[in-house]
Amino acid sequence: MIPFLLRRLVQSIPTLFLASLLIFFVIQLAPGDFLTPAKLNPNISPEALAALERNFGLDRHPIEQYLLWMKNMIFNLDLGLSFSYQQPVLDVIKPRIANSMYLVLLSTILFYAIAIPIGVFGAVRQNSLGDKTINVILYFLLGFPSFFLALIVIYFILQIRAGTGLDIPINGMTSNGFDSMNAGQKMLDIAKHILIPAIILAVSDAAGLTRVIRGQMLEVMRSDYIRTARAKGVSERTAIWKHTFRNAILPIVAGIGGLLPGAVAGAGFIEVVFAYPGITPMILDAVNSQDLYLIAGFTVITTVLLVIGNALSDILLAVVDPRIKVG
Amino acid sequence: MKKALTLALALTLGTAAAQSAFVWPAAWTAEQNTANKRGGELRLSAISDFKTMNPFTSAEADSIPDRMETGAGLFTQDPRNDEFIPYMAAGAPVVSNNNKRFVVKIRQGMKFSDGQAITADDWVSTWRIHTDDKVGSNSYDTFFLVGKPITVKKIDNYTLQFDFPQPSASALSLMSYTPWPDHVFGKAYREGGADAIKKMWGLGTAPSQIVSPGMWVVESYRAGERTVFKKNPNWGDWNKDSRGQELPYLSNMSVRIVADANASLAAFLAGQIDTVGMRNADDLAQTKKAIDSGSLKAFLKANVSPQATSQWITFNWNKAGDPAKQKLFRDVRFRRAMSHIANRQAMVQLALGGLGSETYFSVYPIFKNQIDAGLAAGAPQYKYDLAQASKLLAQIGYTKKNAQGYLVDKSGKVLEFTLSTNAGNTVREQLGRIFADEAKKVGVKVNFTPIDFNTLVGQLTAKGENRPFDAILLGLSGGSNIWSFGSNVVPCGTNLHSYNNPTDGKCATSQEQLMTKLYYQGDSELNDAKRRAIGSQLMKAEGELQPVIYLVGGNYHVAFNERLGGEFTANMMDAYYGHRLQALTFIK
Repeated sequence: MIPFLLRRLVQSIPTLFLASLLIFFVIQLAPGDFLTPAKLNPNISPEALAALERNFGLDRHPIEQYLLWMKNMIFNLDLGLSFSYQQPVLDVIKPRIANSMYLVLLSTILFYAIAIPIGVFGAVRQNSLGDKTINVILYFLLGFPSFFLALIVIYFILQIRAGTGLDIPINGMTSNGFDSMNAGQKMLDIAKHILIPAIILAVSDAAGLTRVIRGQMLEVMRSDYIRTARAKGVSERTAIWKHTFRNAILPIVAGIGGLLPGAVAGAGFIEVVFAYPGITPMILDAVNSQDLYLIAGFTVITTVLLVIGNALSDILLAVVDPRIKVG
Repeated sequence: MKKALTLALALTLGTAAAQSAFVWPAAWTAEQNTANKRGGELRLSAISDFKTMNPFTSAEADSIPDRMETGAGLFTQDPRNDEFIPYMAAGAPVVSNNNKRFVVKIRQGMKFSDGQAITADDWVSTWRIHTDDKVGSNSYDTFFLVGKPITVKKIDNYTLQFDFPQPSASALSLMSYTPWPDHVFGKAYREGGADAIKKMWGLGTAPSQIVSPGMWVVESYRAGERTVFKKNPNWGDWNKDSRGQELPYLSNMSVRIVADANASLAAFLAGQIDTVGMRNADDLAQTKKAIDSGSLKAFLKANVSPQATSQWITFNWNKAGDPAKQKLFRDVRFRRAMSHIANRQAMVQLALGGLGSETYFSVYPIFKNQIDAGLAAGAPQYKYDLAQASKLLAQIGYTKKNAQGYLVDKSGKVLEFTLSTNAGNTVREQLGRIFADEAKKVGVKVNFTPIDFNTLVGQLTAKGENRPFDAILLGLSGGSNIWSFGSNVVPCGTNLHSYNNPTDGKCATSQEQLMTKLYYQGDSELNDAKRRAIGSQLMKAEGELQPVIYLVGGNYHVAFNERLGGEFTANMMDAYYGHRLQALTFIK
């Protein structure tokens, strides 16, 4: 195990180096910089702009900027200073990542809770009316981008609100007066806000995994050892869940590596549509204003997590599948 | 006897206390709070998240420090007549040294939200930190006049002395910066310099540590969601309404972060926020519909005033690489023809949905006093007139048209130029198309191409003899009603003197020299009427030269929830002052 991890660590160095190089210089390729909009402000003099450029290090050559950034990252674990926040990148993104994680974790749980039973059901009752109905619905949802689905849901929630006066939150993460609530109320308030976006995320993504599980289950169910097990008289429940499902689960485990960076990377446009204070709206903002170190720092974090996540899922695979050896 | 003495003493103390308070004139609101309604929350929205609580590093327009600055400053402008009146200052300043030295007494008894007294030290420290270029303050420039520093000195705890390098019309405004606490920032600065200042009051700072001199202080901050402000409990000591009651009436103000302008409109229509900017006819129609259907109780008034913005086309005089075009762009007849081509009325109707104002000068139409003075002095307006445009172009030598209907010179070269604007700005894209269509009618070929914003700004602010563009359509905003000309726009050599920006920064024409001279002359004239007269001359020179073709600007509309009271009278509302003062706002 330890040699495996060490090898992974060594392998990840060139990966991360190349990734950071790409991230940094692709951002640099865009015309203009963080201070460009300020140049149109009649109240800022060229001297003040020059001073800001100097303060932000934007007057240096991009390669010099990159080397400085790398140096600080390696030796001080410092991802740089965000231009617009004038704060260390980590401090800026930490609360946002935490917010995104609530949403992503809940939707991941819902995602598996929806996809696994439906996938197994589809395999066990293959081509039944229920299987076909679920397939049609899920394919329909898969075709919808999740943010569009969210807009439709918001429309219906608004209709319900207007009709019944029921206060279903459609944006944000907390209600007014959140700070004066006690711990229990706070949890309930957040749950109320994230439930609907989490369900939308889970449902719109579930179709893919459902298909994979259904296909895998069908394949395994037809194999000899399942027939043998059935012939030996194990119960149907044991045959499906213990013998079939465990062998069909491998692609899910292989995909777990993506969960870690996924949890950090946020829920994408769903966050924008629901005005959820996650990481996506902030990164979009940063891209808009060319807040170099904020974008670069965040991307480095997700790349690192991707590498760690992949190593994790390799280890998990070895746990689930005795044929795979780590080392 | 003793009783009488106590009474006398109490009376004197009472008057002393009353003197130390600023009384907000009853005339500053149309609807006074006579029912003594107190408390409640003013609910606002913002489109982008707050970036910092630090007043020295904040660069956004609508920041947390900006909001706390409400109700802090030596002088304040009366929304009725634009006049400056002493606010944190105890009285009018004593002016000496050829209008360059201002000695100001500070009102006594003012306190920060943490209970510490506000004294001269706070102004001096704030000035010192803003003017340290290592801090990177956005207000850095406001402490300089033509590159020379303004100095601030403490005479005693309650007396300040400001020394300006030259007289300035904006002196009172420049002196009215917000004093931040010396016992917080001054202390940090003396101990750790600029770096210590930069580390202060980030978004992670506990709100309990934030100290404000103004009406509001941060109560809570939730990243990307909302910030709640509470009233500064000490502010009411020196801010009273006309009946002697402490202000503000409100106890809280919350600013909710929404995804975009559509989301803030939706929140307003749903009654979740109290006021929102109306962008266009569509916003107005939706609001009107909600009000008519009874689902929203709100005040709505369209076209209250022009916005303080402009949209314009500038031509590049520095085209050494294309002498023919350079000659053309430098020809005043060509630029006047271009102004005649601009169908401003169509632009207002089509691009702004009828909700806009035509502009002819760099002064925004909202600054009506200056515009009226300029027009009275004979500043010319080259209005939409295609026949006149054709005549002017013929004078330059464009009399023949080719088979496609475009004007050609003697060598058969088509009269054409490229006009760029920033892609994605739908209003500017429409303005450009209208201009190009009208130009085609007289035979001018305008190649209209929206391009990336950053590239465009790079081109516009480029310096040199051969700058990389033909013509650019863009806009500016910002400026004041004291001296309504841009310090970076009018004088030669400044970075937004967009039409002529050679390496040496020299003027190319005598009118530019005159405009530069008038700009500085007006900027240093303290007398309002005389300054306005200088502005008229400047407008006249600018109008004749037509270096930039001003097109149109949007209008300002007012919408707010009827639960709010204490707004301005109808004739006081405009884009510059808004529709209310927060101090006098109350919840009905």
